Amino acid sequence: MSRNARHQALFGWLFAAPFAIGFLLVFVAPIIWAIRAAFFGSEAAEGGLYGGGARREVFVGFKNFAHAATNPGFWSGMGRVLAFGAIQIPVMILAALFLALLLDSFLVRRPGLWRLGYFLPFAIPGLIAAIVWTYLYLPELSPFAAALPDLDGIAFFLSPRLVLASMANITTWTYTGYNMLIFLAALQAIPHDLYEAARIDGASGWVIATKIKIPLVRGAALLAVLLSIIGTVQLFNEPTMIRTVATWMGNDYMPMLMAYNTLMGQISPSGMGPASAISILMAVVAGSLAVIYALVQRRIAR
Amino acid sequence: MRKIALAVTLTVTLALAMVGCANPQDKKTEQKGDPVKITYIHRLPDGEGMTKVADIVKRWNDANPGIQVTATKFDGKAQALAVKLETDIKANAGPCLAQLSYNEIPEMYVKGLLQDVTAEAKKYQKNYGGAFGQMTLAGKTTGLPQDSGPLVYLYDAKEFKALDIKVPTTLDEFKAAAAKAAAKGKYIAAFTPDETAYWLSAQTAAAGGVWYKTEGDKWKVNLDSLEAQKVAKFWQDMIDAKSVLTLDRWSDAYTKAIADGRLIGNLSAAWETGFALDGLDGTPREGQWRVAQIPDFGAGAKTGPDGGSGVAVMKGCAHPAEAMKFNDWFNTQVDDLATQGLVPAAVQPAKTPAKMARQFGGQDVRAVLAQANKNLSQDFIYIPGFSAVVPKTTETAAKVAAGNGKVADVFAAAKTSSFQALKSLGLPAI
Repeated sequence: MSRNARHQALFGWLFAAPFAIGFLLVFVAPIIWAIRAAFFGSEAAEGGLYGGGARREVFVGFKNFAHAATNPGFWSGMGRVLAFGAIQIPVMILAALFLALLLDSFLVRRPGLWRLGYFLPFAIPGLIAAIVWTYLYLPELSPFAAALPDLDGIAFFLSPRLVLASMANITTWTYTGYNMLIFLAALQAIPHDLYEAARIDGASGWVIATKIKIPLVRGAALLAVLLSIIGTVQLFNEPTMIRTVATWMGNDYMPMLMAYNTLMGQISPSGMGPASAISILMAVVAGSLAVIYALVQRRIAR
Repeated sequence: MRKIALAVTLTVTLALAMVGCANPQDKKTEQKGDPVKITYIHRLPDGEGMTKVADIVKRWNDANPGIQVTATKFDGKAQALAVKLETDIKANAGPCLAQLSYNEIPEMYVKGLLQDVTAEAKKYQKNYGGAFGQMTLAGKTTGLPQDSGPLVYLYDAKEFKALDIKVPTTLDEFKAAAAKAAAKGKYIAAFTPDETAYWLSAQTAAAGGVWYKTEGDKWKVNLDSLEAQKVAKFWQDMIDAKSVLTLDRWSDAYTKAIADGRLIGNLSAAWETGFALDGLDGTPREGQWRVAQIPDFGAGAKTGPDGGSGVAVMKGCAHPAEAMKFNDWFNTQVDDLATQGLVPAAVQPAKTPAKMARQFGGQDVRAVLAQANKNLSQDFIYIPGFSAVVPKTTETAAKVAAGNGKVADVFAAAKTSSFQALKSLGLPAI
């Protein structure tokens, strides 16, 4: 290695250090710790009513995973997020693509203003958005919910039949603008020569949008869908907030809620071990779904 | 070579940063003569017009230079505090004293987070009523009680008069009065799913039963008892007759029903007298409500515990004797605690705060609550893991309230989840 190269390597490391340290501390370390925790549980130190008032940490192997994987509550929660995603993700992605195409065309004046407007919901913290929408769903506070009939004895938007749609509405409202930006960035990276050539060949605006723009933002669509799948499996703000006014939902309605409440001692077995096992199982499911989607997408593209 | 040096530097920096995160509570560098330092974490409301915890603690600190107390308010939910305490105590960075609900005491003890301070507690026992028992587990006392929540009956006296009904003293009278009021679109009680675990267990206690008892070294889950069935049947009858409102206690619907004058009474925890009527301030309905004893659930003048909390000494506290000395002093400042909306567990009577007198038309609320405290069942205990029983009970009760199930299902859900909770903690249950 020449002196110069060594010098450069040193600077490279120095520049990377702040990120690397942060990454290790707040990302890698907690993951390693969670994986370790998932293999441990605790048992009463002694017999008796209160187990001697002390507990021991014990290695339990895959017991926590086995429990999470055989828990019907976990899979019905997973089923709910999948049903949610199967409808919400396509709706949101198509809406985002439509808005992006609109802003990229010459049909709209002041696209900057519209772009900001569509993006604004994403700038509102997720929990606040969930609170605002929960108020809109609550007959006592909402300007319109009181006019709608109860379903199965429960307020319209909060009833078992509609609550997933009510949550999907919040998510769509929040993330459509965000996904639109992903598409818009991809659209603006397309060389304008292509459009010019197409126009000379007599292509209409519609043809340019469907034959040039949409095929060329496929990569962006893949990214947006993958992020959405992962986000859906981790759905937390919406069910947490809505559950405060729809107590029938139970505290394992969705997997993330279940992991959280397991940690909080609200679901037996509780604690760090079982909660970590649920989280890791969730990550595995989300990861598999993302991989499956990417593979299917690639096959179709061929 | 350079690369290795750099890697070492990085690792050391990382290690230092990690060490910086740890925060051991009791550094063993105390000198003789230095004041003893006690940390105390609480969840009291500290609201407008209340005597602030910081001010009460300051009085202690000024009078006791040798024992200096730092009080911190925890703003999250009770469960979040429980998790924080568990994490902090394991890292040897926990507080000395913490406010815990009575139903959390057994599970915190099982997790090894509480200290046995029986000897110290004995010195102060005479200052406290029956709630002292809630801090004691199989003969080991872990702290001192702060407040208690006997079930009482809150009602709108003016509406009752207009409807020509009296405060019911038996369950049959209650049903009759409820039916009469419901015929006029008024409700003298609410079935509140989000409170059922505490509310129905307290009523079972009022009927002379318990949800849990001990048989030798085993827990007996007693949710099929005759007393429990009686409570279940009573509410089932009330719901079937449509003489009760079904809404969550901690919902806007509840507040609205009181403000509208549709809900004119409810079986409530004593501590609800501190804020339940706030929504009526400045309205024509202000000052119409009164508090009374709950009807006879079949065991005479008896009521059950609905909530309440104590201040426990946590594992790792280096000065339990001094901590208990402060603990006792703090929990006998009954007038200050009463301003926080509490029904102090100390025997010394508290003055009825001005706000309460105004909201209850000048009634001596404290006297009624003190009587309820005397009628409080001493037998009711919670199992370790009760925190996991509450959500299942709520979920089931919400379905019952929506008309999809029977009140007996709530007890059945509580039974199943109680067994699960005990089993997953590895405690013997029958």
